[in-house]
Amino acid sequence: MRKKSITLLIMGLMIVPFLVTMAAAKTLHIGSMSPLTGPYASDGTDIKNGVLTAIEVFEEAGGVPGYDKIELHAQDTACDPRQAVASANKLINLEVAGVIGAYCSSSTIPASTTLDEESIPMITPASTNEKVTDRGLEYMFRMCGRDDDQAPASAKFMKESLQAKSIFIVDDKTTYSQGLADGVKKSCNELGIKVLAHEHVNQGDKDFSAILTMAKTANADVLYMSLQGFSPGSMMAIQAKRLGVKSQIVTQDAMFQPKFMEVAKDAAEGIYLTYGFTDPTTPEYKAFEKRYVPKYGAIAAYATYAYDSATALLKAIKAAGSTDPAKIKAELMKMEFAGVSKHVKFKANGDTGSSYIAFKIIDGKFVPYWDPEKGLLK
Amino acid sequence: MEYFIQQLINGLTLGGVYALIALGYTMVYGVIQLINFAHGEFFAAGGYMGVIVLSYFAGLGYMETHPVFCLTASFALSMAFCAYLAIGVEKIAYKPLRKESRLAALLSALGMSIFLSNGLMLTQGVYDKAYPSELFQGGLSFGLVTVSYLQMLIVCLTGALLVGLNILVFKTKIGMAMRATAQDKTMSALVSISSNRIISLTFAIGAGLAAAAGIMVGLYYGSVRYDMGFVPGIKAFAAAVLGGIGNITGAMVGGLIIGMVEIFGAGYLSGEYKDVFAFIILIAVLYFKPTGIMGENIDDTRV
Repeated sequence: MRKKSITLLIMGLMIVPFLVTMAAAKTLHIGSMSPLTGPYASDGTDIKNGVLTAIEVFEEAGGVPGYDKIELHAQDTACDPRQAVASANKLINLEVAGVIGAYCSSSTIPASTTLDEESIPMITPASTNEKVTDRGLEYMFRMCGRDDDQAPASAKFMKESLQAKSIFIVDDKTTYSQGLADGVKKSCNELGIKVLAHEHVNQGDKDFSAILTMAKTANADVLYMSLQGFSPGSMMAIQAKRLGVKSQIVTQDAMFQPKFMEVAKDAAEGIYLTYGFTDPTTPEYKAFEKRYVPKYGAIAAYATYAYDSATALLKAIKAAGSTDPAKIKAELMKMEFAGVSKHVKFKANGDTGSSYIAFKIIDGKFVPYWDPEKGLLK
Repeated sequence: MEYFIQQLINGLTLGGVYALIALGYTMVYGVIQLINFAHGEFFAAGGYMGVIVLSYFAGLGYMETHPVFCLTASFALSMAFCAYLAIGVEKIAYKPLRKESRLAALLSALGMSIFLSNGLMLTQGVYDKAYPSELFQGGLSFGLVTVSYLQMLIVCLTGALLVGLNILVFKTKIGMAMRATAQDKTMSALVSISSNRIISLTFAIGAGLAAAAGIMVGLYYGSVRYDMGFVPGIKAFAAAVLGGIGNITGAMVGGLIIGMVEIFGAGYLSGEYKDVFAFIILIAVLYFKPTGIMGENIDDTRV
């Protein structure tokens, strides 16, 4: 009996140092929101990995003074507006200093309203719908470009480079894909490209043969494919090729994913897409690549934007010396640095500007092809 | 006209896949009156098993030299795997609840579905897995109508499996035992038919057919992903109900109708409402004939 109580006492004493360190350790909590399950889980996981990489780099460089560690609370929004709001509330309860996310514009918009009420800064790496930053929210920022910049760039590319006269538009009815498709339609009408049809498919569809048979019969110069995520996009490309659709496929930033070519293979060849220009030769990009690729695989559409978003947030917290949202915002507005994806400088409305160019898929790679200002590249 | 024929071929392909999955629902329902909601996941697991086997062969370079062997092996392995998976699921999740209320088993099935699809996600990753594309490139063109070799393969293979299943159920001793168990478990036990074995067999056959559908979908659409079982699962369930749940021929007919309605609805009316048309047909049929097109009296279900 006595022996037992001594052992217990010793064990108890052994725990004490841990308790002390735990009390002294201060953790900086930040949140991320992206779909980790469901059809967009791959893009969502890239976002989470980008944020994790940023935290890793930041901690190695000394972290944030006053905090021993930075903890990420990665929330799964499943690209569902209701779940996004629930995740936002959860992050509010966890008292996060800022949030990176979300992915789908339809999630970001309601979640940002909830976060803004609590004055928690949110930086989206992926939501391109105009409304994200156009609602006058105090704490909403955006690292990627905007659809109302992307759509005109895309239409201009079709007109000038492809000399398209007619277009067949397909979207899958998400805030992002439909917003972009509507924008392309509007720009095409302005530029005199005839819109033969604007059709819709459903999220989660695999079979596009009916719509593609329509597109084949319509035989427009361009088939504009506006889908949320590379997964339905690659399937549509495969089926279009198999059905013998002759229209040139043009698509957008959601397809900027190496997996798109992996699945679609030769059906992806020659497809054009618009995406924000990222210079892969900068030292920042090379350093990121070196760290990210061995751990998480090829760099996809949103990992770089997520990395830059998280870096911007952490830099602002460090410069502000506190997690006071007003101070973080002031620092974010002041900051200017060379990021991995772009040169980061926030505008008054929270945007960082767009730099859409057209890429062409050649030999399974995204090759910069055309710039709205400079015309054909190379 | 060409447009119509092209859509007809598209519909036939899609309907064939739905029919294969619907059979699993209907057979299981026929024998133990359970809607096996985990059935869509057997379809997904089959698709994954197919891609694993085919990628392995492609890596060895057998794909160019022995394409028929590779395909046969992938179908055989994946169907066998899913058959055993289904037997296991039945033993763990449904058998202990056989004496309980039907609702308990139904909830267990829903839970199993979530468990299996998340299991696939955790073991295989969130990204789409691409099928090797060397097989069955190209197709035949008749004017504006294009029939790919893959569509031909799917239609022929589906037809063969359906005929095979019909022979098994209606012409063999095993089939007779299955039908007997479906009609009356106690009575069939008295003539020394083991109902446990028959139930396992029913699950195995249903899951095997779903696995075959999974590989075909993978080959046809180019990739598989962990949540691919959900939507086709629901559609196939609707097909089974439309045809008259518990009735094998009904499931085949139901699958083809759902596939056709979806394609023609999208092709002639509106792409965004194609699912709505499929379910309107379902509601309309059930309104006038609650047991489905070929369904018999609910109390007298047959395999």
